Amino acid sequence: MTDDNLDPTSLDPEEMLDGMNPEDLDGHTIDELSDYLDAGREPRNESIENSPGARIALDALARLRNESWAMLEVEALADPDRDQSWIKNVLTNISRESRAGRDIPISHPDPAVRLNITEGSVRGLIRVAADGIGGSIIGKVALDGDVTVPGEAISLDVTASATYGQNLKSLSQLIREKIAAELAIHTELNVVAINVTIQDVHPEPTEETP
Amino acid sequence: MGARSSNFLNTAPDGILAARAADRDVAAFEVLVHRHGPLMRAYAAKVLGVASEADDVVQDVFIQAWDQLDRLSDVTAVKSWLMRMVSNRSIERIRRRKDLVNVDDWDAPVAANLTPEHVVEVKLQMNALATAVDRLPEMQRQCWALKEIGGVPYAEIAEQLGVPVSTVRGQLARARRTIIQEMEAWR
Repeated sequence: MTDDNLDPTSLDPEEMLDGMNPEDLDGHTIDELSDYLDAGREPRNESIENSPGARIALDALARLRNESWAMLEVEALADPDRDQSWIKNVLTNISRESRAGRDIPISHPDPAVRLNITEGSVRGLIRVAADGIGGSIIGKVALDGDVTVPGEAISLDVTASATYGQNLKSLSQLIREKIAAELAIHTELNVVAINVTIQDVHPEPTEETP
Repeated sequence: MGARSSNFLNTAPDGILAARAADRDVAAFEVLVHRHGPLMRAYAAKVLGVASEADDVVQDVFIQAWDQLDRLSDVTAVKSWLMRMVSNRSIERIRRRKDLVNVDDWDAPVAANLTPEHVVEVKLQMNALATAVDRLPEMQRQCWALKEIGGVPYAEIAEQLGVPVSTVRGQLARARRTIIQEMEAWR
């Protein structure tokens, strides 16, 4: 490598690579070593493992892989103000149309009147009610069965995450009762089962904003 | 809306947030954007080399994600799903650029794209690795970021960019050699 005061970026990369050429790696190439690393250094390649030059390069490649994510995370932290502005931009550009889903009929004394509540709003209702208990956050809400036909047997599948340190059995029971009560007030659904799956636990929310 | 009202969702796991967002819960989606957006943007910036383009890519990805979340089968994998979308959108951008410039010029160093502010910023972070990556010739940097960070397979990068797999492998090997060479502390 020459020591002229050249802009290093104007050099051919090949010229800057002393120590990483096949002759320094006992005939192995970086491409080959990368594949060997990808394969978890299996099956063991004696020629690579016995070459000090190749082993140095292998270690450096492994380190590069690990630190690439760390580098990205540092860069991601760089500019919180800018984050705020583009995040706001994303949120103003998404469609606010709800996913209405199916129409759930509600009876009315006047046969000429047809009342419906959408599946989407029932899911929203369930979320708000169950979140209100505290100690858990509802995820997915699925209504199983033909909700468009009055009286049809409907079962509910709900996922939730619980804050640490709770009795999950009594929590799921609370969630079930709350949902059943809420649905009885707002719908005429014939709910035969409410299945609650606590799929995760999470720490207590902090006072800080995200 | 705003950060305040979504506060109780801040510590919720990804899968819960993704399921809610699939059901059009804006507050849950907002937490996902806050949680993963900065990393996605840093990744796109590494692939594309231009921060403003990275902003566009990540905004597009989130808008697309909002509309497609209900089709995501495993909601707990939302982060890798989002990162994959960033890979795809970034590749799209590179292809569009490629249509505009001569492919032969493509491998030229992009040091000129580094603004003085960016150089200072990177130095302030004392992040030698970031500097080494940013100094790579464009195609090397693209291939490196897509494979090393995005985990996009060689064959897919090659197909998407319309170059032979051997080219992608060659670019990546050169990128790795150059970076390792510059990271003297590692040896």
